[in-house]
Amino acid sequence: MRTKQLLRTLAVLGVLAVVLAACTSDEGSGGTLVAAQGAEPDRLDPHLTSAFASFQILENVYDTLVQPGDDLTMEPALAESWEVSDDQLTWTFTLRDGVTFHNGRALVADDVVYSYERIMDPDTGAANAFRFASVESVTAPDNSTVVITLTRPTPNLLVNIGGFKGMAIIPQEIVDDGTIDTTPVGTGPFVFVSSSPDQGIELERNDDYWQDGLPLLDGVRFVQIPDATVKLTNLRTGEVDWIDSVPPQDLESLADEESVVLERVPGGDYHYFALNQAREPFDNPDVRSAIAMAIDRPAIAEAAQFGAATANQTAIPEGNFWHHDFAPYGVADIDGARALLDGAGVSDLTIEFMVSSDFPETVTQAQVIASQLEPLGISVEISDVDFGTWLDRQGQGDFDAFMLSWIGNIDPDDFYYAQHHTEGGFNFQGYSNPDVDDLLDAARVETDDDARKTLYDQAAELIVGEASYIYLYNPENIGAWGDHVTGYGVRGDNAVRFVNTELEE
Amino acid sequence: MATVTGFIARRIGQMILALFGVSVIVFALIHFVPGDPVRIALGTRFDPDVYDALMKRSGLDRPLLEQFVAWLGSAVRGDLGVSFRSQQPVTGLVLERLPATLTLAGAALFLAVGVGVPLGVISAVRQGSKLDYVATAASQVGVSVPDFWAGIMYILLFSLTLGWLPPSGYVSLFDDPAGWLSHLILPATAVGLVSASIIYRFVRSAVLEAFNQDFTRTARAKGLSSRRVLWDHVLPNAWIPIVTVIGLQLGFLLGGVVVVEILFAWPGIGRLAFVAVGDRDFTLLQGTVLYIAFMFLIINLLVDIIYGWLDPRIRYD
Repeated sequence: MRTKQLLRTLAVLGVLAVVLAACTSDEGSGGTLVAAQGAEPDRLDPHLTSAFASFQILENVYDTLVQPGDDLTMEPALAESWEVSDDQLTWTFTLRDGVTFHNGRALVADDVVYSYERIMDPDTGAANAFRFASVESVTAPDNSTVVITLTRPTPNLLVNIGGFKGMAIIPQEIVDDGTIDTTPVGTGPFVFVSSSPDQGIELERNDDYWQDGLPLLDGVRFVQIPDATVKLTNLRTGEVDWIDSVPPQDLESLADEESVVLERVPGGDYHYFALNQAREPFDNPDVRSAIAMAIDRPAIAEAAQFGAATANQTAIPEGNFWHHDFAPYGVADIDGARALLDGAGVSDLTIEFMVSSDFPETVTQAQVIASQLEPLGISVEISDVDFGTWLDRQGQGDFDAFMLSWIGNIDPDDFYYAQHHTEGGFNFQGYSNPDVDDLLDAARVETDDDARKTLYDQAAELIVGEASYIYLYNPENIGAWGDHVTGYGVRGDNAVRFVNTELEE
Repeated sequence: MATVTGFIARRIGQMILALFGVSVIVFALIHFVPGDPVRIALGTRFDPDVYDALMKRSGLDRPLLEQFVAWLGSAVRGDLGVSFRSQQPVTGLVLERLPATLTLAGAALFLAVGVGVPLGVISAVRQGSKLDYVATAASQVGVSVPDFWAGIMYILLFSLTLGWLPPSGYVSLFDDPAGWLSHLILPATAVGLVSASIIYRFVRSAVLEAFNQDFTRTARAKGLSSRRVLWDHVLPNAWIPIVTVIGLQLGFLLGGVVVVEILFAWPGIGRLAFVAVGDRDFTLLQGTVLYIAFMFLIINLLVDIIYGWLDPRIRYD
């Protein structure tokens, strides 16, 4: 009898416990989203990492003064407003009230000054120091005002200081105590909790976030799954809620899968290749143009991205304000190309194409281009090396041609200056045209958008016409998540923001 | 016993020499292949001024010999340095990955020995039987099918299609024992069956060889039962090659199984070494390779000690 009673009591208690547990977990809870990323973050200092995997996490932890909105125009973030002086040389930002860091300390203007000076200090070794090239000083006249003084008008200042979280506002204390790489402290929607090889990186809701009512999730856990197929399988079996990319060859099969949401949006990334202009005969623009003319861009895009891309002869995609409708080359114009090569006195050309399996689409593209250049009598030797070797050989000019993509650019200066200006930091192909230099320099300080666009259009025509880069296509940005995830969207700049995201039962 | 102690002392001395040799080779190799860590860390955000600043700050601009001597100086004091890429102490990074590696190696070896040794003995005892043919054919498949390919097939079958097991990841035993086991089964099987096949083939041939020795014939002639012949005469003489191959397999497994760890998103030493090579993160690579070499040497030493225990004829001098 006694045992029976005990069992009954236990059963009642058990039911009660289940009900209670259900109630508490339902109450105002958005759940914890498990996000799978393909690469491992290296370090978590936003000013010093350049790993995309780190930024996927830091995007949700840190804020910038301004940030790209959904349409990639710059909108208020930590700064709620700003004014520009008539001479365009003084920008005054007013900080939002009541913003606190995750350690509880209030954000003040000195934090902005500290963060920017840290990036600018050559000893820091921040790759984004160049974004402050025109900045003379950053000062804080009071706790909620930041003044940036410039040496020349800088129309893209907002993109420079807020385009991505590499320009995050950080509290000095985490630099001083050396914890910035392991325990980032920001002002963003999620608070960093922990990082471990088995649990991944855990973030929890910032209850004091400056946007009322946000974020909706209780937390986000980032796990690292290097193999793309296995990552996708984890989404299909419900082990993870969100994945950061989808192999193009799986797009078709995923489109029919009911429990998976697939989103494809036009992005600002582009794929290209460049010929080494320090080597003959690639120093001759006609030879480069001949190659740009002979290839079939739509076929390359189809082979490499399974249709999730748009062929483009320039860098900036259609639909973007800075897009320039300019397509001087035909599709697979072998006759035109041969005429140019004959004129240049070039025959029996062999090109060594440097690609990397770390970016498998570059290998596919090189194979397609090799077959497309065959009718022209050009033989392509594909040299597939790991990315470390690739970068080394690129830096030393040890290549005929290299192929890669540029990601995450917003302002046209990002698209052209480092790559094509004679003094550009990434101009490894060795392009130099004084007219292009003048146009890019002028566009850097032109504050009228339409006039600025005209300058970039002219520069683009020279860059494309002389085939400094041979542009191929703009890939779509692709994301996939379970159908129980709402309030997430793939962005044009590929930033991963979970601030509006929610999980539904 | 004194000879054993002397033997171990000598071997530890040899181990230190071997570890030094390994670190010299790793250092030479990583600087021989193209690519430098600063350029890789900056990637497409390359800027010559920033590059120079980082080279200088990390000491990578100093002469190679100087860098190596500085590293060696701290290494002998137990400080393996800081990973260039993550700015974290290498010792911590390696130790953090140790539980996952030990788990996978232990489970795979358990499976490999549990399957490979009994099957090998039975196959040898019943040479030419159906079981012998099937097991030998299966081991042929086991050694020729790459573990990562088998792993992909397991994931597609047991995770995607049947939904029985999670496709990837590692859970700590202390956090969630059931999750630990369910995450472990697929990668341990992928790796373990390869080792089982190798061990099976060694065991089978070692036992067969012992069967064909004169002492076995004598034992049989004395009229001993087959069981006594096997346990008292055949197996004791087959143990040495068996222990050798098991030791070698364990050494490989403890070094991390790179491709399988990547496939199953298993946070082990192999994946860490892979990342270190990709980033040309010299200190991190040195740390992981030294750990792997150390494991190999320790197991070698244990195997040699076990030899003497198994076969008193073996002397440590």
